[in-house]
Amino acid sequence: MLQSRFYNVAGHVFEVRADDSADVFWLMDNYRPFEEISLPGGVPAFSLEVACRAENVEYAEETRQVEESQEIICGKTLSGQSVFEFHCSGIKAGVLVCNEGFRDGTLYLQQAVDLQRFALNNGLMVFFALSTALEGTALFHSAVVVRDGVGYMFLGKSGTGKSTHARLWRQRFSDVELLNDDNPVVRLEEDGAWVYGSPWSGKTPCYKNARARLGAVVDLRQAARNKIYPLRGIEAYLSLVYSISGMRWNRSLADGLHATENRLAQEIPMFRLECLPDENAAEVCYEGVRNF
Amino acid sequence: MKIKKGFVLRDVCGEKVIMGEGVGALDFGRLLCLNDTAAFLWEVASAGEFTVDSLAERLCQEYDVSEDQARSDVSAIVAQWQEVKVIE
Repeated sequence: MLQSRFYNVAGHVFEVRADDSADVFWLMDNYRPFEEISLPGGVPAFSLEVACRAENVEYAEETRQVEESQEIICGKTLSGQSVFEFHCSGIKAGVLVCNEGFRDGTLYLQQAVDLQRFALNNGLMVFFALSTALEGTALFHSAVVVRDGVGYMFLGKSGTGKSTHARLWRQRFSDVELLNDDNPVVRLEEDGAWVYGSPWSGKTPCYKNARARLGAVVDLRQAARNKIYPLRGIEAYLSLVYSISGMRWNRSLADGLHATENRLAQEIPMFRLECLPDENAAEVCYEGVRNF
Repeated sequence: MKIKKGFVLRDVCGEKVIMGEGVGALDFGRLLCLNDTAAFLWEVASAGEFTVDSLAERLCQEYDVSEDQARSDVSAIVAQWQEVKVIE
């Protein structure tokens, strides 16, 4: 029998449906803090059916995204559905097929449990980003800490030390909490920009259903000393673009993301921190951001 | 000539910028800032096929410039677009 559960991430509710004999929900520990008893009115942002069977989806490849050992192949079926195939270390873990408009779709899982979890998380992240791009929402690649109720986001390419810098803040200041270590969500709302925890947090199990007012965004660069300065205009915009997941070859979604990035670049204090992996970097960063 | 697929003109923090966002343009690792004249020409060029002459003609209609000046301005801008490979 098909079972249905609802999850609320950054105020967007989505539905996951799966056969209850398939143990799909058992794989979704990290989603538990986000679960809703029922759909609180209206329609979900999207509805995903998860099927545990190999399905041969025929599609034409458009592009692929490679990061370390992970690869996403993107394409379209003849009837216009968007297809995302997730690979981990060269092994196909799952295929996501989204119907036009990104409101519903199916994720086909194959292989072992670890790969199923990988495909589930990637499939839901992609679907979430696509279905909320026009709603002032962006899924970031970032680590976020909270101090005095204010969220500070750290950006940077893989390996720059976002997680390390977040850890250094917690070492240096006793009242700092980690909100998310890898994939927080930022949402522009009537009363400003908020940063939310999510069920996706990279290698760190930090799945908090909480939010904080977005206080500042800091783009990190490794350097031989600690130094902070403001980022403005195009430079600020670009550092956001590089840190936001999303499919920019769909014009409407690209326009939505651009609008969000452009507003954030102008409304949120942004900085570049050239830093060492030491506690002094956390202090230089906090002082720089606070005295802005 | 025509603009390659995937390149879009965006207003970024008050400036006009060409970004590579489409499938064929994802490797465009930079962005191109346009002045008002270049942004106007880009909008015209977005309509489809163009030549230096066709753009120069539109420039003369829009701005108070001589034909020679328009052609020389357009040539310089188009050469820059060719150099960064946003047109074909």
